[in-house]
Amino acid sequence: MSKPILHIDQISKQYQLGVMGSGALKKDLQAWWNKQVLHKKEAPDPEAYDESNRDYIWALRNLDFKINEGDSFGIVGNNGSGKSTLLKIISRISLPTSGTIHGRGRIASLLEVGTGFHPELSGRENVLLNGQILGMQKKEVLDKFDEIVDFSGIERFIDTPVKRYSSGMYVRLAFSVAAHLQTDILIIDEVLAVGDVDFQRKCLKKIKSLSTQAGKTVIFVSHNMQALRNLCNKAIWLEKGKLIAEGAADTVINKYLSREKVETLSQYYPNPESAPGNEWIRIKQVAINPQFNKQIAYIDTRTPLDFEFSFWYLGEYPENTQVLIGFYQLTGECIFELCSEVLKVEKGLVDGRCRIPGTFLNNGYYYVTMHFLNREQDTMYEFTASVAFDVVDYRNAKRPFGKWEGAVRPDFPVELSQVSFEAP
Amino acid sequence: MANEWEWELQADKKWFQYGLVELWRCRGLLQSFVKKELTAGYQQTIMGVFWLVIQPLLTTLFYFLVFSKIVKVSTNGAPPLLFYMSGALLWGYFSDCFTSTMYSFVHNAHIFNKVYFPRLIVPLSMVITHSVRTGIQFILFLIIYVNYWIFDDAVHPSQYIWLVPVMLFFTALLGLGMGMIVAVFMAKYRDLEQLMNFMLRLFMFVTPVVYPASIVPEKYKVLFWCNPLTPVIETFRLGFLHGGTVDSIYIFTGMASSLLVFFIGLTLFKFREIKVMDTI
Repeated sequence: MSKPILHIDQISKQYQLGVMGSGALKKDLQAWWNKQVLHKKEAPDPEAYDESNRDYIWALRNLDFKINEGDSFGIVGNNGSGKSTLLKIISRISLPTSGTIHGRGRIASLLEVGTGFHPELSGRENVLLNGQILGMQKKEVLDKFDEIVDFSGIERFIDTPVKRYSSGMYVRLAFSVAAHLQTDILIIDEVLAVGDVDFQRKCLKKIKSLSTQAGKTVIFVSHNMQALRNLCNKAIWLEKGKLIAEGAADTVINKYLSREKVETLSQYYPNPESAPGNEWIRIKQVAINPQFNKQIAYIDTRTPLDFEFSFWYLGEYPENTQVLIGFYQLTGECIFELCSEVLKVEKGLVDGRCRIPGTFLNNGYYYVTMHFLNREQDTMYEFTASVAFDVVDYRNAKRPFGKWEGAVRPDFPVELSQVSFEAP
Repeated sequence: MANEWEWELQADKKWFQYGLVELWRCRGLLQSFVKKELTAGYQQTIMGVFWLVIQPLLTTLFYFLVFSKIVKVSTNGAPPLLFYMSGALLWGYFSDCFTSTMYSFVHNAHIFNKVYFPRLIVPLSMVITHSVRTGIQFILFLIIYVNYWIFDDAVHPSQYIWLVPVMLFFTALLGLGMGMIVAVFMAKYRDLEQLMNFMLRLFMFVTPVVYPASIVPEKYKVLFWCNPLTPVIETFRLGFLHGGTVDSIYIFTGMASSLLVFFIGLTLFKFREIKVMDTI
């Protein structure tokens, strides 16, 4: 069994809130007097923290876990869960309010690509400077120099000031430096989302080889669950500064993905009076029912989805009614629209359903709107906020890295066969 | 299983830890920072490095016109050009060291928030950069000086000239020390930026930059010589230009107070170097 290389021992971090003003100096002096002269300890207790307090916030609360040598370790959580604070403390940029971190070996953190790049200096000079800022010795950078430049693929421009670089070239060079860091522990914060698709893939491969081949410990924060799943063997899930789950990466990520998704998946109204609608239409129920197989409890790109709805028709006369169902992306773009048969409905309850097959939608967030049309194809009622759901990326061995482009992701087979063994 | 941890990060930092071993390991980074400061500042300028020489020359010329021709301040018999140049050189060195180091945290917050390296690298690189610049200006001073010495015979060096390097060193130490103290507080209280720039302008007038110390009335003399920069500038002038005297006691008090300020600055800076980033 490999040894722990990093022990996060009861780490808490408190941030002061509030505006800077004339009162700030007085408050600081008071705090200093109490602490240094009167030796009063304002015992900070992260457990008894009231979230309505406006003076301070606990970004991390008594975190305690270990990271083993050679692990690639993922940290997941919503925005504001304390992920970045934790990385900052591990990489010595910020001090904890209480607790200790024990560790072995050299740490380098990559919280941003190109930290300290100077626009007026050439690529060559910036590689040297940036490499040293990130903790390498000058000699180490020079030894790796050709490899770095080669990896970035911008040999031609290496003596040009970086202010003349395109943003893509800039990122390529900056990432190449970071990818060649000679440290025992490498900390990476959401920097994989840079550059073009090819370069991203190259970076991911490089990082993966760091932990699998070079035996380095890598700590990641990312919102790209697929990348984390691919890269990590262990993970933790943070929520409001607390540890929610810890363990094998797949398990933790699955737990994280299946959180708080229930309310948006269905709506139900027991009687027409309180239901959304108007004098013709009242909504009784809308629901997305994912047809899960096996043990996963969240919607991924393989999951077939059943959309079911029922509504009351309240019109005085029978009406030739049609239902239009639109599936939209978060950006407001319509992915596709479904249209029902025309049905002559009378006052009463109407039921409807449709199925969106698995391996059809691409990953992302979708919401569904419904239009109820009359015989003139005029809208009787438009129900915009019916259901919303998140489709999680699932990759098979076919395409492990990079963004899978497109609004839909059908799995039509593509056949390959070799027809000759001779070069043309 | 007992783990042999190599390092530890704790909530409470102890006083008087300077991390000198770590600093020494990062000397290559310091070198690169200095190189960056020296080269990046003059990119895409027509005059380039000549600005280094032009600035003190213009300042000297200006002082010469205003204080020698219009206000007619005594220079203790020294050639006015050399007199003002020595003042401008030393004052410039001090104020450059001070004002550049006091922005250590404020101007580098974007880097300090993303990556760790010994923060002392930044103020040190500033001081070294300004030392190089002052060195170039000093060479210019020497060229003019030698001209006066050979062709005019108006000036000749005294034994105090051996103290000049020491004086330059303590000027930098004072500027660095004050800069580090202000840097720590300025991270939170941005008012200090205004205050310090204002104070610095006033401070120049109680330092013998454009006048000799000898014109200060007797009753203010002790107070005047308490300024650590007074013995520095006076000794420098004494070494090159003769005329006037410097009480050796003031040389020592000046050096001692510069050293004290430097250690206070260094200790405070090291104690707060990480914590300060939460308040910036």
